[in-house]
Amino acid sequence: MSEAKPYEVLLDALDAADERTDTALQCGERVPAPWESAMQATCECLSWRGSLDNLERRQAEDRLGETVYSRFPVHARSVVVVAHSLMDRSVIDQDELKSKMKEVRARLERE
Amino acid sequence: MSTTHGHAPIQESGQLSEFEVLELAVRELAIEKGLFSAEDHRRFSEWAESRGPHGGSKLVAKAWVDPAFKERLLTNGTEACKEVGLNWLEPTGQGTPSDYTFFYVLENTPKLHNVIVCTLCSCYPRPVLGMSPDWYRTPNYRRRMVRWPREVLAEFGLHLSPDVEVRVHDSNQKSRFMVMPMRPEGTEGWSEEQLAAIVTRDCMIGVALPRPDWTAQQVPSQATPSQAKGKGGRK
Repeated sequence: MSEAKPYEVLLDALDAADERTDTALQCGERVPAPWESAMQATCECLSWRGSLDNLERRQAEDRLGETVYSRFPVHARSVVVVAHSLMDRSVIDQDELKSKMKEVRARLERE
Repeated sequence: MSTTHGHAPIQESGQLSEFEVLELAVRELAIEKGLFSAEDHRRFSEWAESRGPHGGSKLVAKAWVDPAFKERLLTNGTEACKEVGLNWLEPTGQGTPSDYTFFYVLENTPKLHNVIVCTLCSCYPRPVLGMSPDWYRTPNYRRRMVRWPREVLAEFGLHLSPDVEVRVHDSNQKSRFMVMPMRPEGTEGWSEEQLAAIVTRDCMIGVALPRPDWTAQQVPSQATPSQAKGKGGRK
């Protein structure tokens, strides 16, 4: 297996405030956010419909989460690794993900 | 932002998380490309939120009255769950993020008390207990339970005798646990339904013991005097 490389669009999503600082108990003093439940459902749907197997994803979370995305908090691993895997498989590409994120951000910030 | 609800808005900072944006973007792209539908996603969310501790309560109650079932439950928890209508492969036929996990039921005895935790994050046997309580996900519980279990249990009002071994089970992505408490005295002749009512969520996490005069449906402030004294500890 070739060495994995991080995607810039994902590295850009890491705000300094979210950076992982505690490697022993990564969840820290926090309550899971609603988007994390939504992400779990997305993972289940991807596995169910055959696009990204759950076990494969979880192994990728361990592998990539401890290497190329080691600065990311553990609770963000699912979303980062799912995006990474879909780009690896050419299901989506960086440009369209970047564009979609911009669209979503604008929608959520709309007054 | 003003509110007429008399409490602070849920999103206090107005700061949009980039991870939230990323989650929505990934989901919407996946839907646009036909990997799954918005309906699939909604159903999964609804299913996950409909789970509750009643499934685990049924398992324990059945095990209390049926020794053969208890044996099967302790031997292969995942398979035995199907006998009370709980299938770890739901809702897809291939499971949930709890996929590929082994489900272990831990039997309490007069000399052994089990309790579950997830030190890494918040792994929890959702198919049988539903969503985890908020405190289960706090570092206060996760960090301290593995180091000072008796102290933490005492904070829940559970005082165990020194001759009772406390065994803490750390959940992970491959293994999920649930505690089978001992059937309390005073429940002789009870039906499974009656028994299930006293097997509360906290009893199956291991921070409480079932009592014949307590169910989680009661309002604590309306408890009987014997309950109010908090005689929950194992002496």
